[in-house]
This record gives sequence, structure tokens and C-alpha cells, in this order.
Amino acid sequence: MSRPFPYTYVSCPCANTPVPDPAKKRRSRDSPQKPTPERTDPDDKDNKKQPENTPEEEVDEEEEEQTFDPRSPRSNFSLYPPEQLLYCEDCHQIKCPRCITEEIVSWYCPNCLFETPSSMVKGDANRCGRNCFNCPVCTSPLSVSTIENVAGKGNGQGPWVLSCAYCLWTTLDIGIKFDKPTNIRNQLQKMTDSTSAPTFDTRSRQGSRAFSDLKSPLSNLASFDEPVSTPTGSGEQVKENETDSPPLGVEARFAALKNFYRNQISETSTSPNDPLGSDLGFSSPGALNRLMSLYASSSRLGGLYGGNKKQKSKPPVMREAINASEGLRIAPENADAAIIERLSSPDCGWDGVASLSQRAEQSPDVRFVDDLLPLPVLLRTKRAKRCKSCKHILVKPETKPQSTRFRIRLIALSYIPLPSLRPLALPTSSLIPAPAPDLNALPPLRPVHVLLTLKNHMFDPVRITLATPSVTPGRVASKVTILSPQFDIGPNSDVWDEALQGASAPVTTDPRAGGLRAAEKVPEAGKVWDKGRNWTTVVLEVIPGTLPGSEADAGKEGIDEDEIAVAAQQDEDVLEIPVFVHMEWDAEAQLEQQNVGKASKPDDLVARELAYWMVLGVGRITAAL
Amino acid sequence: MATLKPPSATHRSASGSSTPTGPPKAPVKADPSATIADQVVFQGTHPVTIGANTIIHPRARFYAYEGPITIGEGCIISEKTVIGATPSSPSSPSTSTNTHTRLSYFVTIGPQSTIKPGVHIHSSTTVEALVTINQHADIGSHTKICSGCEIPERGRVSEWTVVWGSGIGQRRRRTREAKMPGSAVLVAAQVAQATAPEPAPAGKVIEDARLMVLQKEREILGRMLVPSGPKKK
Repeated sequence: MSRPFPYTYVSCPCANTPVPDPAKKRRSRDSPQKPTPERTDPDDKDNKKQPENTPEEEVDEEEEEQTFDPRSPRSNFSLYPPEQLLYCEDCHQIKCPRCITEEIVSWYCPNCLFETPSSMVKGDANRCGRNCFNCPVCTSPLSVSTIENVAGKGNGQGPWVLSCAYCLWTTLDIGIKFDKPTNIRNQLQKMTDSTSAPTFDTRSRQGSRAFSDLKSPLSNLASFDEPVSTPTGSGEQVKENETDSPPLGVEARFAALKNFYRNQISETSTSPNDPLGSDLGFSSPGALNRLMSLYASSSRLGGLYGGNKKQKSKPPVMREAINASEGLRIAPENADAAIIERLSSPDCGWDGVASLSQRAEQSPDVRFVDDLLPLPVLLRTKRAKRCKSCKHILVKPETKPQSTRFRIRLIALSYIPLPSLRPLALPTSSLIPAPAPDLNALPPLRPVHVLLTLKNHMFDPVRITLATPSVTPGRVASKVTILSPQFDIGPNSDVWDEALQGASAPVTTDPRAGGLRAAEKVPEAGKVWDKGRNWTTVVLEVIPGTLPGSEADAGKEGIDEDEIAVAAQQDEDVLEIPVFVHMEWDAEAQLEQQNVGKASKPDDLVARELAYWMVLGVGRITAAL
Repeated sequence: MATLKPPSATHRSASGSSTPTGPPKAPVKADPSATIADQVVFQGTHPVTIGANTIIHPRARFYAYEGPITIGEGCIISEKTVIGATPSSPSSPSTSTNTHTRLSYFVTIGPQSTIKPGVHIHSSTTVEALVTINQHADIGSHTKICSGCEIPERGRVSEWTVVWGSGIGQRRRRTREAKMPGSAVLVAAQVAQATAPEPAPAGKVIEDARLMVLQKEREILGRMLVPSGPKKK
């Protein structure tokens, strides 16, 4: 919990509901009020609920009856700051990032804000296909600039380079110049990929190896981690003599290997039983058939069970690639020695070796800074979010990358009141208000008053019932009392409405009057502290418990330093109060619910309720009194 | 702090007489073509020399307590930069012989950087914002110290180097005079274009361009400053 005190978290109810199985879903649909636990009697601090009669729901009921424990390991996964939560209007439930699914609306380049169609993303990898590149050394964006203007000769002509404004890296460092300032990625690809050219040059593979590897992470996985990368490696000469065919670039090699293995699969899996097996891959039922027939024919048991003779023929066996045209690449003998030699040469040194983070983005055999190639910018996505249980869309951004607007955005804060917490400084003397208590060092056994403000963002007034266990769960038992657990919050109406009404009725939220009164006011049971247009503040009285082993702990003699340390380590000294919020309001009935609404309310209003746990982080308890 | 007090407007006079109340005012010897803002602080006992066409932005501070400060021609020193150290700083050994702080020509210092006494910065070096260069460091020419980096005490940065990253930073050599291009690319280019590659272009081209732009900027700025510029001698 890294937030500063005081903080508030809202618990997503998905943590209490186990894996959504269809049976349960049906049940909850039968009784729509079920997921919200019974409302607590405000005066009864035991947080007891009436037992449910239906036996099949007893298990759920038991689970929900338990007080929410902010310290339990499970609650780590359900507590979110209220701003991060969404709300599903169909399920009438809070939705956390765990109970939504995401789908990609569009891909775009964050640099040029150009949307990339998903077909191109599949073909060209998820990188910008235009002029956006990142520096391979420091990852800042590269800019296209001409080097001819320097001499003042031409304007806007001549060779172009990519240059980094931060670390001053340019493509001149690796000897690349571009003829045109546009479509640089294609130009770069042509320069670095020479697979198409029939060449017997010893070093051509060096050039061809790199760029296409950036395209798809799959090709990296599929290719061997090639140890060869030294341009001066004499080992390549040896290899060149051995194999007559030209060495292939990484992409071409990948294609060759893929082709080879596909052929192997189709050749070996042809059986009379399934003619479809040939053109389906390993992930098809054909593959399973092939395996089964393999076992059936090779095992001796097959004969016992009357397997026919034809299947006993030797099954076709897959082989591996054996020559370069099939994608085989043999590591040259002394490549490692050449690399080591280059590493130790004064020309390279520490600064000349590519760092791990630099190499992670490059082709697997890049070792030196001089081999780094500019990286096309990775694309980003805009994502829509759906409710996992009802597939209702919760968030849908505009497709255009330039737009930051959302078509649909159901955030939870427009449905649940925003909780906020602040300590209350009680006036000790007559005039000078006492300073607010230090929340990072709350003395034990001394009552602290905390103001909890709930702000309503709905257009309907809301009735709130708060409940909290009288003693916080955990080893440090602090006593908590909500002085007025039941109250109303006004609607989030037009600001002007209230201002106009204010002429007739005395406004209670005059800041000066409120401030003056706040200095004199004393928290009283059963009364709200303050109330505004769409917010209400209530007082919580908290008596922090004693840390185990501290001097305030009466049951023990002496201070056990170790125990305090342990308590502090496990954050047991953090005073967190679980509060159960139950809210009721009359919402305008939606179309499908109109019948229900008519049954209960005359004017298209339907009663709604929502209940959830939230956790108030008040402060940290000190050991000393 | 007394050092935050802006000095009187007469600091450009080369007198260097210390006022009886405030800290000692350093004797400043500035070229008449230099542009020095009014709110620049010069303190200390040793002379401060400023070369021609140098521009010093407001609220830069020069503390010449431990040794003289020399700023070369055509330098730009941005606002809130501190050159030298206040006498209260404990880490400065007053017995050190060579605490001459030198900035060669065409040095650019970014805002709020700190350059400790005894530092030698060679020509055409760029020091970005919030950089700390500790005592007696030696920064080679055509070097760039990226923002937020720190050069350790007596550290040496060779020429044509970029210090980047965070903290002490990573080093990177810029292309030196006649470096062969990465052979991978060279050969690929050969294959693709089927032309013999010309001798490798030096990264110097880029640096030349940068310096030219800097020079032009300076000229234009100078023209803008002259009509409404500060009082010139």
C-alpha cells in the first residue's frame, strides 16, 4: 500500500464470488438481490445478518457474512483505488481490471499517430512502417535530417540520415545514408536484407541477418541463437568452403525451415484414414491421428488386439534439415574466438559492446554497438473493455489515434460515491484549533476522529448505510465507531439549481459559516457532520489498538522489540478499517425493466441497491504511548 | 543567504573592489562583445575572464574563491548555472595548486548545471541541464554530457564522447575521423546498390552542422540583442 495516508480503497466484489460457473449465474439471476448481502442494522455493530432460508445459498451467504479483512492475502487482488474501477450497467456491479476482458480497437504508431490496419500488423510485425525509428543506443526517437544542407549546396536534397537528438547517434555511425526522406523502413530493409540477391560474397549474410529479425519475435524463437556475428571472422571462410549454396538471411532461413518442416509433416502424416491430415498442421486432429497410428502400429500389443497388417508397416519418420537450402546453418568453428578477440581489442572496449537492453531489441547475434540498427517504433493499441460475465462494453475509445475521447466509458465513480478521508482536529482549547493528528504516528488507545466524506456523482439522491466491525480484524485490534451510519446524499444536480434554491432556503454549506462552526462543533452520535449539495460527511471515532509487545500492551511486561519489528514488517501497525457500504437509490427504469418498475413504483422509478466493501487506510500506529 | 542577493549593476567594471558589507566581488575581465545579464553573480577573490561573443544568462553564478575562472569565446552559459564553489563547501581543498576553471571556446552549458572548481572543458562541448561536473574533471572537445549526468571528481571524458543515461552515465563514442562503417551495412549496401561505397563518411559532418547552426543562432541572437541589449561599453 504505497499511497500516503489517508487513503481509501474499494473492494471489487469479484474476489468473493468464485469462478463464474453457469449454475451460479442462473441462481443469481433468479434472485437479483442476492449478490448484495443483507443490509446491516445500523445500531447493531456486530454486522450480523439475517440467516438465509434457502439452503443452496447458504455457502455463499456464509462467505459474504464474513467481515472483509483487508489483510488477508486474497484482498490484495480485490482492493483498488476507486478511480480505477468500472461499472457494468447490466450486471449492476463494480468491475475491476480482473473481471473485464480487453479487445484491441486499433493499432497506431505513437510517434506519427498513424493508424495501422490489423492485417498490416500481422504482416509487418507491430512496428511502424513509415519513418518512425527509435535510437538503438538510447531508445529516444530518431529524426530524419539531411546532411547535404550542411555544405549549403542543395536544399532538401541529397543523402538523408536518421539522427538521435539525445545521444547524437546517427546512421552514419553504421554507414547508412538514405536517398529519399520517405519510406525509410523499406530503404533500410533493402540495404540490410540481401537475401534476394544471388551473392557469394562472404559477408553478405552479415548484412542480411539483422533487420528482418526485428519483424516478428516468432522468427527469433524459431531460429537458433546464432553465435556468429563477427565480420572479420575467418570462420566464415571455412564455412563458405563447405557449403556451396549461398547463405540465407535470417528471414529467408526461417521461411526455408518453415517450409521444410511443413513438408515433413505433410509427408509423414499422410495416411489413408484422414486425407485432410496433410494440409492441417500439428494443431489439427490429423496430428493426433498420426500419433495414434504411430503408437498403434509400433507397439506389439497392436497385433494382439487384432491390428491389421497394413498398419504394421514402418511409419514414416520426420527428419531434420540437413543442408543450407533447407535452412540449416552451421556455426563456424572459431567464431567465439573472433568475438573474444574483438571484445578485448582497444578499439572496442566496454563502450563498444552492446548492452543487454540494447541487444534485447536487436537480432540475436548482435554483440557490438556498431552492429545496432535503428528500431522502427513499436505500435500501441487502443482497447475496448467488456464485462467478463455479460459481455457488455464498459469502455470503448474512439478509433482514431488522434482523438482522446471515449464513446462509452462507464467508470465506477459515476455510480458509487467517491470516498475521501481526512483527520478531524478537535478543538482542545477554546480558540486555537488543535493541529491535525500525525497519521503516520497514531498513539495507541487515544481516540482519533476521522471525517469520511462520500460524494455522489449520480443524478439521484442516495441513501447510504455504513457498517463496520466494531474491532478491526488482525492482531492489532482497533475500535471503530461510525457516529452516524445511516444518511442521505443529495443528487449531483445542476449547480445552478442549488444556487437558485439557495435564495429561499438557508444554505448549510457556506464555507465561512461552516468553518466557524467546525471549530466549535463536537462530533455527536447520530448526526452527520456536514452536508452539501451532493456530499455528506460523517465522523468515525477510532481508538487505535496497541501493537503486540509494545509498552501500551498491558498484558505483557517490558517491551519486546523483536515483536514490534515483526509487526512493523508485516504492516500490522497500519490502521485499516473495512467499511461495508450499502447504497439504495431510485433509478429511472430502463426499457427492459419497466415492468418490474411499474410493479413497485408508479412513475417509472425502480429501486436499486448496491453494496460493496471499502477499506479506509487511516494511519500507522506507533508503539509508544 | 547573502549570495542570493543580486549584485549591483556595476559588476561589469573590472575594478573588483569588494564592498565592505557583502561577499568579495570577483574582478571580472569581460570582452566588450560579451553579453552578460544583469543578475549574474560574480564572487570570490580570483579574476574571472570572459571571452568574446560569450553569452551569460541571468542568475548564473561564478564563485572564484579557489582559483581564476576563464570562459572562452562564443560560450553560452544558461541561467542558474553555478561555476566554482562557495568557500563554505568543505570538499574543496584550498591547497590544491591548479584550481583554474577553464571553459574553451564554443562551450554550451545548460541551465542549472554545476561546474566545480578546477574543471577543464574543452572546445565545442555541450553540457546539458542539471549536469554536475566535479572537481578537476577534464571534458574533451566535441563531447556531449546529457542532462542529469554526473562526472566524478578528476574524471576524464575523452573527446567525441557522449555521456548519457542516468547518474554517472554510459559512455558512447561518436564517430571518429575516418571510421569504417559497420561492415554489415557496408556489404549490404554494396550488394543492394551494386556500387562501390565511397570512403566512409565521418560523423564529423553532423557535428559541423551542429556547430554551424549554433553559430548562426548566435549571430541572429546577437543582432536581436544589440538594439535593445544591455548597456555596452
